[in-house]
Amino acid sequence: MADTGLKETPQTTEAVGGMGHSVKRKEDPRFIRGQGEYIDDLVLPGMLWLDIVRSPYAHATIKGIDASEALKIPGVLAVITGADLEKAGLHWMPTLAGDKQMVLPTDTVMYQSQEVCAVVATSRYIAADGVAAVLVDYEPLPVIVDPFKALEPDAFVLRPDRGPDKANNHIWHWESGDRAATDTAMEASEVRVSEDIYIPRIHVASIETCGCIADWNATRGQMTLHMTSQAPHAIRTVLALVSGLPEQNIRVKTHDIGGGFGGKVPVYPGYVLAVVASLTVGKPVKWIEDRSENLQADSFARDYHIHVELGATKAGKITSLKVKTVADHGYTDAAADPSKFPAGLFNVITGSYDFDNAFVEVDGVYTNKPPGGVAYRCSFRVTEAVHAIERMVDILAHDIGKDPAQLRMENFIQPDQFPYKTPTGWSYDSGDYPRALKKALDMIGYDDLRKEQLEKRAKGELMGIGISSFTEIVGAGPSHDFDILGIKMFDSCEIRVHPTGKVLARIGVQTQGQGHETTFAQIIAEELGFPVADIKIEYGDTDTAPYGLGTYASRSTPVAGAATAIAARKIRDKSRKIAAHLLEASEDDLEWTNGKFSVKGSPDKSKTIQEIAFAAYTNHPAGMEAGLEAVDYYDPPNLTFPFGSYICVVDIDRGTGQVTVRRFVAVDDCGNIINPMIVDGQIHGGLTMGFAPSLYEEISYDELGNNLAGTFMDYLLPTAVETPAWETGKTITPSPHHPIGAKGVGESATVGAPPAIANAVVDALWHLGVRNIDIPMTPQKIWAILNEKGVTA
Amino acid sequence: MWAFVTNPVEAGSCGPGVESVEASDATHFKARAKVGIGFINARFNLDGEMVSVTESEVAEVKAHGQAPGSAVDGTATMRLSDGPDGGTTMNWSADVNISGTLASLGARLIEGTANKMIGQTFVCMKTKLEA
Repeated sequence: MADTGLKETPQTTEAVGGMGHSVKRKEDPRFIRGQGEYIDDLVLPGMLWLDIVRSPYAHATIKGIDASEALKIPGVLAVITGADLEKAGLHWMPTLAGDKQMVLPTDTVMYQSQEVCAVVATSRYIAADGVAAVLVDYEPLPVIVDPFKALEPDAFVLRPDRGPDKANNHIWHWESGDRAATDTAMEASEVRVSEDIYIPRIHVASIETCGCIADWNATRGQMTLHMTSQAPHAIRTVLALVSGLPEQNIRVKTHDIGGGFGGKVPVYPGYVLAVVASLTVGKPVKWIEDRSENLQADSFARDYHIHVELGATKAGKITSLKVKTVADHGYTDAAADPSKFPAGLFNVITGSYDFDNAFVEVDGVYTNKPPGGVAYRCSFRVTEAVHAIERMVDILAHDIGKDPAQLRMENFIQPDQFPYKTPTGWSYDSGDYPRALKKALDMIGYDDLRKEQLEKRAKGELMGIGISSFTEIVGAGPSHDFDILGIKMFDSCEIRVHPTGKVLARIGVQTQGQGHETTFAQIIAEELGFPVADIKIEYGDTDTAPYGLGTYASRSTPVAGAATAIAARKIRDKSRKIAAHLLEASEDDLEWTNGKFSVKGSPDKSKTIQEIAFAAYTNHPAGMEAGLEAVDYYDPPNLTFPFGSYICVVDIDRGTGQVTVRRFVAVDDCGNIINPMIVDGQIHGGLTMGFAPSLYEEISYDELGNNLAGTFMDYLLPTAVETPAWETGKTITPSPHHPIGAKGVGESATVGAPPAIANAVVDALWHLGVRNIDIPMTPQKIWAILNEKGVTA
Repeated sequence: MWAFVTNPVEAGSCGPGVESVEASDATHFKARAKVGIGFINARFNLDGEMVSVTESEVAEVKAHGQAPGSAVDGTATMRLSDGPDGGTTMNWSADVNISGTLASLGARLIEGTANKMIGQTFVCMKTKLEA
């Protein structure tokens, strides 16, 4: 069944466009023409607007809400408060992580910009006027923004709703690996290096903000929820559980999505409020966030305080790794991690290196901030893990005076060690780490750059070279370990072949820019020989698409892509029976090549897949069901482990502290490739989203809990002007367990890029006594270091 | 001088952006003030209280105000003492917490704007006292 052999060249013709062809994206014509349809483009007859009153305080008691002035405004129809929701038991809702969060507060607000009440009006502008006219009486309370202060014994309890047994701000403790063995190995290590690394809070800042239209039809008893979501089926099920509406009468429909990156996985209070408002007034109700609401109130990523220690021999052979992390989750754990993994897949932190002893522990903590721990093009804490291990490997190399590339080569898991069992329990499927690093070193001309660096340093110029040899962990996930709210993390595809040989396929995952309409068609073209042009891919309508957990964590190709290949093979199996019937031959005597079955030894006796499709409806064998369709729900046997080696060259301006990325080489290995152009695009985008938090982006808070990055003036996204020219390369090491040998690529570059950039900056400054700089490495931060070291120009 | 600084209507109307002040009783007042920081304008409804800490020497103004999405909570302390040439010297300090949109969106501009506003407040008081 599996066809996991190495596919370096396409097996199909360009006209068919199977795997390995850079087929132009089928979705692009509508985007290029400005004819995409996003949620805010949609206007339904009689539609109302909802806008939200938000708290100015990060922590306060609500003493009263006076909506009388708002309700006097012509066009304001209703103001919904927490007290209203409490009557229906809807003031709290579950998070995907099994915690709970407020839809609207009844007595206490927990973060600045939290939803306090909602105004429903006949236009967007009247709704905003209504919001401005609502008077809320607050009594400010003390605020905790620092998770370490939240853990102090005398800290006040942020979430008394958890009951007297949990009268503290500690959410959970999670650990992995062998503590005793690691301690012993660490004690025995000739060299020990340790560091505190902070990965700050960041925000996906997708250009399309979140929003929905809830459309309740009382006569039909039907709720249609148009929304911008990465996981529409999960939303449908959560909505059914929370609202009590029967699930068959809830239809969640996504439209084109202007960026997801994980920020559109959670259920936000705005969605629930729109549903409640529509149920109340019996009309469609639209809620769309503005930019500042998006940046201040949506779920955030990262916010990991990592203490990490690496043990090694004097020669630089790693022996042990110990990690203690405090995870700031804000006032509720709304992460979308699988149930068994509250810290995601953070224990992949042993990285690309072969050693026996590791111990990792993470403590989740509440603070007066919006829900954190969600995603930024990597939801399962792989970015944090890769940053920590790749920084530490560089620090070790510098400390013992060994070239960082050489130290990596000497510690890599070798190709013949796969499948490789890590000390924290993962089974890496396949890899060839030395080959990827060697290719990156050759592409960038590493030895010459090191010579140039020495020459520049002699002249007082600051140049650095940074390497990151990361291992990703994607494709969640196998049902024995992976579920969200109990729902196993399978994914699905349903394929229908029409009589004229055209194909409609529906998938359980959702595209938000990845190009699924093209790549999933290419998988079917590869398996069945239908040209890509004849295959239509649909998704994002829960009334028609098979159930799936959605698109995040680079899981679409590893899970739904596998389901698509398997569903296609089911169709091929039935096609063989039909072909045998048409050719009056035994099934065993048929061979499958290039989209047709032919009789072995008589290649002119053959039936194309199109002829077989027609026969499935017009001349199918007696005893066989008519039609040609199949569905597959794929439960992956293991995760997949893409990898790569990145090398970054930076120059630092001594006068301003400005870091310039001069060159960046990225060699990626994501297994067999479906569409090289799309993979390249994913890597370019991912690199840019790794570059951004390395140098620019950070959501910071003042001591009162005010978000200090609530606009694009303060939350700095790099544009094409700042972004370097990426140089990409690839190696191909197929996954041995995936039906088409693919691994997933959406997040690799976001995970791999930041440590390469951070390592380059520290490399440029190491001789001045700099061991670590936390991202973002802004000019202010670098200038302050240069100034302290007395080397500003 | 003491009478002036403890009179909410007299002194209060010099406050930053104050459009109206209304005394509720001898020590409490309500005010409306329009404050702009950068591109953000907000109209605050303020509840204030004048507190005489030490008669003729130390007075405090406590105020709590709200605008849509923003809030301000603060205490200003005014300390009067005899000046060098028979006049009166006022030392003041203020502890102000700004929350919400104004803090979030205007963070980088708050200090400069606040200093400018406080300067204007005392110029206004001086003008009134000298009139």
